[in-house]
Amino acid sequence: MKNLINFILNHVHWLLFSFLTFSSSCLLIHNNEFQRSKYLVIFQEIEGRICLISNGVESYINLKTINTELMGRIAVLEREARDYKQKAETLSKQFFPMEAPEYENLYPDAFNFIQARVVNNRISRMDNNYITLNKGSLAGVREDMGVMSPGGIVGVVINVTPHFSKVIPILNPKYQPSCKLKRTGYFGNLLWDGKDSRYISLKELPLHATFNIGDTIVTSGYSMVFPEGVPVGTVEDAFKQKGGNYNSLKIKLFTNFNALSEVLIVVNTLKEEQLNVERDSDE
Amino acid sequence: MNKTVLWQLLMFVLLLLLQVWLFNNIHLFGVATPFVYLYFTIKLPAKMNRNTVLLLSALLGLLIDLLGFTLGLNMSVMVIVGFLRFYLLKLFEPRDIYGDYVPSIETLGNPVFMRYAGVMTAIQVIILHLVESFAVFDPVQLLLRIVSSFILTLLLIWGIESCTTSLSERESRH
Repeated sequence: MKNLINFILNHVHWLLFSFLTFSSSCLLIHNNEFQRSKYLVIFQEIEGRICLISNGVESYINLKTINTELMGRIAVLEREARDYKQKAETLSKQFFPMEAPEYENLYPDAFNFIQARVVNNRISRMDNNYITLNKGSLAGVREDMGVMSPGGIVGVVINVTPHFSKVIPILNPKYQPSCKLKRTGYFGNLLWDGKDSRYISLKELPLHATFNIGDTIVTSGYSMVFPEGVPVGTVEDAFKQKGGNYNSLKIKLFTNFNALSEVLIVVNTLKEEQLNVERDSDE
Repeated sequence: MNKTVLWQLLMFVLLLLLQVWLFNNIHLFGVATPFVYLYFTIKLPAKMNRNTVLLLSALLGLLIDLLGFTLGLNMSVMVIVGFLRFYLLKLFEPRDIYGDYVPSIETLGNPVFMRYAGVMTAIQVIILHLVESFAVFDPVQLLLRIVSSFILTLLLIWGIESCTTSLSERESRH
């Protein structure tokens, strides 16, 4: 017995060696087989915490390279931004030529824009089309704000949650914004007939209003939702409305509702003021 | 705590951090990675308890694994190296040394120390790469990595050792 204990004591390093080899092999195999699985949750938690610290140090060491990379990237983006700015200027000259509304010239920052992305787009049903955007009240979106795409008018915000907003598009008969012929200034209401998402009708246009096929339709600016002159579409065809003194125009829309992704939400910063002055005069 | 223990503690932490944050990220020519943390085991006092050597080596390997996402790899290597160190020291130890000593160029002489460090490094690098490439087996690439990592590691260890030797020499002269 004594001999046995002596033997074990003398060879305890073998035991230790075997134990350590065994445990490290276990670690190795476990780690390869069930990486990040529940068997190692505690280990991983510690590892994660340590890694957080070591990552912090590592990223600090890497800051210099990252900086140079970022500077290069900034230079490229700046160049691109300048190009886009030029393009935007030429484009806005196309859309808002000489007769740009005075209102805008008087208060150039009356309208701000919030960029948003379409997250849900239901354009199929006759009278139940809605669009959901990824910006909500936290981003400053409020009800009754206009929504436009780079091409033209889209709709108006009717419902806002902190992170999303619901838009009723012009392709919904419940929303009939006032629009006008850009060349002559006669106006009517937009109304979708629920058939083709590429076309819309301009109703209630007086019979004496002159127009040509191909004329541009823009927003009238009466509603405080859109600035005056946001492009809507071009005149494709004309009909006489049944039993009335009005024409109905078939408009080909600029906005492609079937491929809508990036939109701008229109913020009218002078809306309150305008409402106030109107209310005051009413009283 | 005497000076040797403090020095070893410092080495432990320093080598650990250097290995994880610096040496693990070096892949010279895409093949050579230095595994300098072995220097800690090499420099432990010769007459230190074998179990202590084993445990300290395993701990260092484990910590490197934890920080470097290679759970078990370095630990298993360090367990084997830490275990074999006793026999290697016995093999290379000059006959005229008595009592405890820290293996270094000073105590063993350059050729003996380098032979000792070389064999330790060779064992470590070979086992490390064999365990690592358990699944994917590409003999030429593996050999290339073993040889280049061995050379790089040994060079670095030699560099560190020479530096500390000249430092301590200067200290003793003053």
